[in-house]
Amino acid sequence: MAEHVIGTIDDFPPGSSRLVKVRNVEIGVFNVGGTLYALPNICPHQAGPLCEGTVNGTMICNAATEWKHQWVRDGEFLTCPWHGIEFEIATGRALANPRLRVRQYPISVDQGLVKITL
Amino acid sequence: MVFTVDCDVHVNDTPGALAPYCDLPWRHSLEDLDGANYPYLQIPGFAPNFRLDPPIRGMHPYRSVNTAREMREELTEIGVDVGILFPDHLLLFAAIPHPEYALFLSRAYNRWLLDRWLRDEPGLYGALLACPQDPEGSARDIEEFAREDRIVAIYLPTAGVNPLWGHRRYDPIFAAAEAADLPVVLHSVTIVSPVFPCQLEQFENHFARQMLGHSFAMMANLVSIMHTGVPARFPNLRIVFTEAGIAWAPYMKWRLDKYYHEYRRMVPVLERRPSEYMSERIWVSTQPIEEPDDPSHLVETIRHIGEDRVVFASDWPHHDFDHPRALLRLPMPQDLKRKIMGENALRVFTRIPAPSAVGADSEERA
Repeated sequence: MAEHVIGTIDDFPPGSSRLVKVRNVEIGVFNVGGTLYALPNICPHQAGPLCEGTVNGTMICNAATEWKHQWVRDGEFLTCPWHGIEFEIATGRALANPRLRVRQYPISVDQGLVKITL
Repeated sequence: MVFTVDCDVHVNDTPGALAPYCDLPWRHSLEDLDGANYPYLQIPGFAPNFRLDPPIRGMHPYRSVNTAREMREELTEIGVDVGILFPDHLLLFAAIPHPEYALFLSRAYNRWLLDRWLRDEPGLYGALLACPQDPEGSARDIEEFAREDRIVAIYLPTAGVNPLWGHRRYDPIFAAAEAADLPVVLHSVTIVSPVFPCQLEQFENHFARQMLGHSFAMMANLVSIMHTGVPARFPNLRIVFTEAGIAWAPYMKWRLDKYYHEYRRMVPVLERRPSEYMSERIWVSTQPIEEPDDPSHLVETIRHIGEDRVVFASDWPHHDFDHPRALLRLPMPQDLKRKIMGENALRVFTRIPAPSAVGADSEERA
């Protein structure tokens, strides 16, 4: 395990998603509302290139919305380009299946430098 | 590496691509459809369908493959040695009402497939498009095109077909397939149409229609061919059911047998239980493979259908395709994996050479 500098904080502004390579490992770096997340570019479903998917909000419809559809939390979910499975970036959890989860790499900002631990 | 035959991959069959291969006067129709930016599986007069849903943000992109070289590269990338090619838009072919135009269009597709997809790249084989709108004409075309050795199957367009494939009007197509020693492959797609499985418009989104469209089409056509005795009347015909997963098959097999006990006198053309015909000459392809929480349940399901009866399909490049690893990672013995991934397919699609004969190609690509 070692820390790897992948850029400065200005390279990853809020709302951005970027694919970086650390020791030949492809990692998607997402800035959701000022917080950075680093996810492997491998979908836990069938190993598709997860982080090449789009970042969006999602649709909900429940008792709290009085069973009306609502588009919520824009920018917080990643859709795998292979099968369309939605993952919550902050937790790595697949919305459609609690058993399906993408792991996170530790990512931190230190004196303006963004570091991933791998 | 497990030798992998993919029983279902799709080529992008646009009207403009097919137009030069279509005879007049219907070539003009394809020329006039060319270039319009129609969505996937929705081209008037070519892929007729109702798309009822609004887009919802965050959906994954639409993929298509436009050349044989691209197809070869992409299949190699996902670990497929041999691919059997089917159309994209003409998955809706059976919904075209005009019999003369339909026959010309099927002929154009088959010529285009042979000329543009089956000449140069190794490991690509084709399924001829049958024309249910004109079974006699289609049978003549099958006889002619089946002489090409890269043709390994007859594709029976299943979405929107009316009547279903067991109807005796299709006997010439089955006879031609049997005479050519080529299997027939039923392939459906979700369609909103007034024919079976009908009334899908009452569902308010595609999730629901997708649930039933493919699986009902396969179940209904299996019952259709059984109740008119197709497997009995064409004793050498091999039949493959695709794109509905596999778990429907044991249910239908057991249900057919259950009621055969009771109603045998209505279907005396079947001289054995339906399951026995299924166990000998009917195959089911895997995609979209079910993903139960406990994968051993899926392996058990495969055994219910029969270890020799299940063949791998990816459905590349479509949205719900399965990577070969979806099967390879299942908890089952290596010999069963080899059967599902390739060996069973070689017994269905008998024109595909066994891997020892194509070993040079495989090594080159490995």
